[in-house]
Amino acid sequence: MMTSSERIGDVVLDVQDLRTYFVTRWGVVKAVDGVDFQLRKGETLGIVGESGSGKSVTALSIMRLVPSPPGHIVGGKVLLEGQDILELSDGEMENVRGSRIGMVLQDPMTALNPVFDIEDQVGEALRIHKDLTGETLETEVIDMLRKVRIPAPEIRMKDYPHQLSGGMRQRVVGAIGISCDPAVLIADEPTTSLDATIQAQYLRLLRELQELTGVGIIFITHDFGIVAKMCDRVAVMYAGKIVEQGDVRQIFNNPSHPYTEALIQSVPKMEVREERLYSIPGQPPALWELPQGCSFADRCRHTHDKCLEAYPDVFDVGDGQVSACWLREKETVSAKS
Amino acid sequence: MTTENATNGSSESLLAVRGLKKHFQVGSGLFGRNKLFLKAVDGVDFEIKEGETYGLVGESGCGKTTTAKMILRLEEPTEGTFEFEGNDAETVGKSKDLTRNYKSNVQAVFQDPWASLNPRMRVGSIIAEPLEVSTVMTKTDIADKVGDLLVEVGLQKAQANLFPHEFSGGQRQRIGVARALALNPKLIVLDEPVSALDVSIRAQIMNLLEDLQDEYGLTYLLIAHHLATVRYMCDKVGVMYLGRIVEEAPTEELFDNPLHPYTRALMSAALPSHPDIEREEIILTGEVPSPLDPPRGCHFHPRCPSRFEPCEGTVPVETHPVPDHRVVCHLY
Repeated sequence: MMTSSERIGDVVLDVQDLRTYFVTRWGVVKAVDGVDFQLRKGETLGIVGESGSGKSVTALSIMRLVPSPPGHIVGGKVLLEGQDILELSDGEMENVRGSRIGMVLQDPMTALNPVFDIEDQVGEALRIHKDLTGETLETEVIDMLRKVRIPAPEIRMKDYPHQLSGGMRQRVVGAIGISCDPAVLIADEPTTSLDATIQAQYLRLLRELQELTGVGIIFITHDFGIVAKMCDRVAVMYAGKIVEQGDVRQIFNNPSHPYTEALIQSVPKMEVREERLYSIPGQPPALWELPQGCSFADRCRHTHDKCLEAYPDVFDVGDGQVSACWLREKETVSAKS
Repeated sequence: MTTENATNGSSESLLAVRGLKKHFQVGSGLFGRNKLFLKAVDGVDFEIKEGETYGLVGESGCGKTTTAKMILRLEEPTEGTFEFEGNDAETVGKSKDLTRNYKSNVQAVFQDPWASLNPRMRVGSIIAEPLEVSTVMTKTDIADKVGDLLVEVGLQKAQANLFPHEFSGGQRQRIGVARALALNPKLIVLDEPVSALDVSIRAQIMNLLEDLQDEYGLTYLLIAHHLATVRYMCDKVGVMYLGRIVEEAPTEELFDNPLHPYTRALMSAALPSHPDIEREEIILTGEVPSPLDPPRGCHFHPRCPSRFEPCEGTVPVETHPVPDHRVVCHLY
């Protein structure tokens, strides 16, 4: 197995101050409100958060698939290998989607179209983005299927999804995701969880794809277990903002934001039996009536006056770990005023 | 509760399930030929002691929810029986009083708090409904009781006038718990009570359930697929695969010393709680077979990494390699 430093290369995706707002009858919902992160080649970044935290809208914004209206990307930059894809026309964006940004859905049962055979579905992106046809297309499809270890790909590609097992279907979805050798792969996890053994297969597949192609993966999840298993770095989102970001081990060992800390403490562990779980009081705030100060203040164990007055600056707590919490102000120099 | 039956000591089992089966007929063919049966639950035995939490774990399709439905009397068992406080299901079924007693003593909290509360009813009426149906309480008494229940589960009395859509997921699950508590039941069936909730809310609900158990001596049957939740909440756990319990042990024993290859595979697939935890990944080949046509011999043998000769032909019998730890596997 490669160490992370060998595996991880240059920045492929640089998201700067991304803002996606929705106009609703309750007012403007700032679903994503000033999100910054970078993804390197071969790296896996986990974006963790609860429903309404903005993690899925972040993913949709990167794909430029935010339903509009009511959603609008109102600001920021999404630099994909140096190019700001928010500046692209819709037609140009179509060329990016599926070729330079791929997507792998977790549920293999719904991700494939039942009325097209595997060859059609794996070949679709290659046909559109790489203009392959005829025999070259077929060879490429067979090659893709071989890469994801589908046995007898020449025969299997004529099958329809229902003729494949769940595990193979998942591999086909993986093959589609990496067929055009994307720089970024987005893995969005549905809220209803799959069975553990199916999920384990899916995670293993993603690892294989990454080792094969060096693709940078963004994992959208609510589960710190997935982060622990898969990710190199984590960005924790709460109410539309990243509250903490850093190396996965650092975040688990020394969470610098009370929300991260509380979230990790409130999840039961399979390895030991806990006497009593910490439970975070209250619930996530409504995005259309966010408080003036820190959005987590009313659920936080460490709230003080300053938390109620202003949203915290982002503080650098060392080794690339950043935290949007006033508690860190004294320890560090402000990274961003 | 006025209709108390024989009082059980704490070591007595509150619910004992024996040889429980549920076969659904799925195809009949012409004139009933080629009848096909889906064996959702195929011979399940377990006991739940009073005041304890018993967990049933397994993947989708293993029959854990069907088992729960039979215990709730929402499904009639094809075969087998269960005893509640020493009365078997048949006796209970024949007597109206016992049936009523059983139904008020066995309540449920469901997985999806968006689907399990009637959107047209006010929360107060939702919680009051079991009281109106099953007791002779007056309207004022019921209203008082509803208020008390709301406070008990961490909500406010005044919220009785609101509709379910005015609550968050966690609050709705609290309403579901209040409804289950209304008739002072002895056993509550918890069918994936936290898996539809946000991570930061799950611990609230789990802790609420634990507190209520301590306060009222409740007994729980927890249906879950998340092993960490099971470890946190359960005293004893049964692992189901294709309609049968393949292993059962007290929680700590099961997690420290899993015996069945399926249990081990499930545990190896569970997500770690820290990035430094690396488990040996046991890779299961193939899919969960269809319960319409389960494999011969041991149901698990086509996927089992430790299968050997007898597994294909012979159905394994239950053994107790460790006291109080049963496993159905040819290895033991």
